[in-house]
Amino acid sequence: MTGLLIQGLINGLILGAIYGLIGVGLNVVFGVLRVVNFAHGEFLVLGAYFAFYLMEYAGINPLVALPLAFAAFFLAGYLLYFVLIPRLSKADDPEISSLLLMFGVSIMLGALMLLAFDADARSLPYEIEPVFLKFGPVLIPTVRLLALAIALAIIAALTVFLYRTQLGRALRAIIMNRDAVRIVGINVERLSAVAFGLGVGLAAASGVLVAMVFPAFSPFMGNDYTLIGFIVIVLGGLGHPVGALVGALLFGVTEQVSVVFFSPSIATICGFALMVATIFIRPSGLFGRQALR
Amino acid sequence: MLKVTNLKKRFGGLVALQGVDLEVPKGGILGIIGMNGSGKTTLLNCINGIYTPDEGRIELGGQEIGGRQVHDVARLGVGRTFQVPRIFRHLSLLDNLDVAQQQAGRSVDERYAQSEYWLHKVELHRLRHNYAEELSGGQQKLVELARIMVARPKVVLLDEPFAGVNPALAQLLISVIRELPTEHDCSVVLVSHDLTSIYQLSHHIIVMNEGAILSQGDADHVRADPRVVEAYLGA
Amino acid sequence: MSSSPALAAGAASHRAQDLRAVRLRTRIAVTLFAALAAGLAVIPMATSNISFAFYLMLWITMASAMNICVGFTGYLPFGYVVFYGVGSYATGICYKIMGWPILPSLLAAGGVGVAIALLLAPTLRLRGVYFGIVSLALATIVKLVISDLPQSFTGGSMGIILSSANNPTHSYYAMLLVMGATLATVTWLSVSRLGRALKAIRDDDGAAACVGIHVPNTRLKAWLLAALFPALAGGIEAWYTNVVDPEYAFNVLITAKSIIYAMAGGFGTILGPVVGTLALLGIDHMIWQKFPVVNLLLLGLIIVLLMLFLPRGIVGSLLKRKPQLRRYIA
Repeated sequence: MTGLLIQGLINGLILGAIYGLIGVGLNVVFGVLRVVNFAHGEFLVLGAYFAFYLMEYAGINPLVALPLAFAAFFLAGYLLYFVLIPRLSKADDPEISSLLLMFGVSIMLGALMLLAFDADARSLPYEIEPVFLKFGPVLIPTVRLLALAIALAIIAALTVFLYRTQLGRALRAIIMNRDAVRIVGINVERLSAVAFGLGVGLAAASGVLVAMVFPAFSPFMGNDYTLIGFIVIVLGGLGHPVGALVGALLFGVTEQVSVVFFSPSIATICGFALMVATIFIRPSGLFGRQALR
Repeated sequence: MLKVTNLKKRFGGLVALQGVDLEVPKGGILGIIGMNGSGKTTLLNCINGIYTPDEGRIELGGQEIGGRQVHDVARLGVGRTFQVPRIFRHLSLLDNLDVAQQQAGRSVDERYAQSEYWLHKVELHRLRHNYAEELSGGQQKLVELARIMVARPKVVLLDEPFAGVNPALAQLLISVIRELPTEHDCSVVLVSHDLTSIYQLSHHIIVMNEGAILSQGDADHVRADPRVVEAYLGA
Repeated sequence: MSSSPALAAGAASHRAQDLRAVRLRTRIAVTLFAALAAGLAVIPMATSNISFAFYLMLWITMASAMNICVGFTGYLPFGYVVFYGVGSYATGICYKIMGWPILPSLLAAGGVGVAIALLLAPTLRLRGVYFGIVSLALATIVKLVISDLPQSFTGGSMGIILSSANNPTHSYYAMLLVMGATLATVTWLSVSRLGRALKAIRDDDGAAACVGIHVPNTRLKAWLLAALFPALAGGIEAWYTNVVDPEYAFNVLITAKSIIYAMAGGFGTILGPVVGTLALLGIDHMIWQKFPVVNLLLLGLIIVLLMLFLPRGIVGSLLKRKPQLRRYIA
């Protein structure tokens, strides 16, 4: 039993790190743009397909595919920003409008994937030697450890970017006060496009990791991942990448430990219930400084 | 009518109100002036229930209202306007005023009569069907004032009513406010940076600074008080 | 307060004028709704292909009730489908498992819908996006709980088959009745104090409190109303199709379509959701017949185009361009 419990805990941490990456991507977009990227999950699944086809047709290793996916999707996101977002600022209620707009985008992407790739679930046939690593009584698939390391590395890189580079600091400034930044003379539109591109790129990167770690993916799993991303944001608090990570780890552990004791659907319920409870008890999240509005 | 005793409010490490005492008699107009950040808006927010005071009492006609919910305080007879007018943008002017008469026992006709009366008073009657968002900022301030008056309040808290209002509308505002105690049985608390209007209208003036009352008295006293001149006017 | 006789007389004629304006708007809406209902009522007598009309009524109901949440109160409930789903299941369980006759089973659907709404009422404290997400999470929880309940009670993942109740004509007229009730309710809201208070809350809930509106109570009333109709609709649809199925009954597309059909016409007016449903369902029907596969893609595209170019919907944009039409459109 303890062995299973430890296994659950470790799985929780690993999955949590990946969830954290998903949440961080959403966080950047929501924080900087106040845009609810409801299509985040679909970009994630597209990233998974990207890695899949690179491996299938070019024999490219997902570890190489990941930075490629990030770059390609960053560019796509940057351009997509200008098509979609600037009009929203004229709406009566930009937040809700963005939610509905991205919801439409998510449906379109899901349908496009369905048309392009069929409804069959795919898996990424990535093998590593040795397949398992043994730590005491616990067996962990090496791929998962690798994914954990990569996820943590990306989050760390992002934190450095946000706190140590000028561009990153400008983004954080926008999160805090959009109008003030405009007055200071920074080109908010371009920066916002960068943020959007960043969010979409991170989504795709998470998708590659998801393809590595989970047994299968299919066009309509996007919704579930978007929801996970939001749960992570709520738990960790807005605008705080480390907070998102901690929230995600908490969520991941709760979910995986529940799986040990109960069924998968109950585990999901536990995870969601955790989020709902957090919203009511600590509306700004575990680390957030602004109360949710 | 309105009595505030030893009101204290802090936000984390920031002390917004250090122990404020004030009193507005029935039929009185109290002016409050002070630098930005001196606690004027916090004071108003405590009185109408948006904030709960940490310490102190707030009494309306003898009844304790401190810490009560906003809608309760409103129904008990406290009206409040805001620096940036918070009118209901997608409602017509008539509806804006109708919806503010939540006291029980008023018939549709009574509410309508009140709405009409006050729209005439602020000279916006011909626009009564327009959505509030179609009005200019100054007009919206007038609507806000009309909106609190239809409820027949005992005391109204006016936060920067003249800010951003052109001189013609400001004159109208001044004449309406001046009448409130005499014609409508309503005391007034007036927060403003517009010293001329404050001096014109107020029976009594309070000068706030850093959450406390720096000086008070009538217009002449305050104008002459060296502490006020130094702190506020920066001499 | 003093008023001269001249002012009083002027007031009286203004009052009459203003009353007439409101009456005109309401009369137009009621006439249009009645005509729609009458037209729909005769369809089963003219043809046996009543499916499109049935679903038209269903979606008008769903979109109008969604409008109560969004247009009147300002909430975007992403878990809206939970009311529909529990309504379906309540009917299925009462009829099939507990052996009740169909009518009480449908009433149970309504009751359960309102009960769930009461249970979820604490979420009304949240705003905007967070309300939406919590709503979605809670709806998912309800869906998972129901599919995890013993198969003998809820039919598990296979769902429930109502079999002997099946009566397309009766269920059609039941749906017509519910649609009528929904439209009557939103028409009432558009002239009532409750409706005005809700719109005030939607515009600025802080200011609404400052004028004496009890915001939480008022919101709750709208919430309960908005939950009743989808629950009844879910129950009737189960009766009509004969099947209660967890994948369909709690599908996020039901929420999506309710929002989009309402949005296409415009939240904030009562004619909007009806217009939007007619337009989009019509388009959807035509496309689905010719291009079943791209159906979903086009739905997404329509949402995107609407949000980019016509965010206030057909009726809403019309009103923005020509505000004088507000006299005629409720």
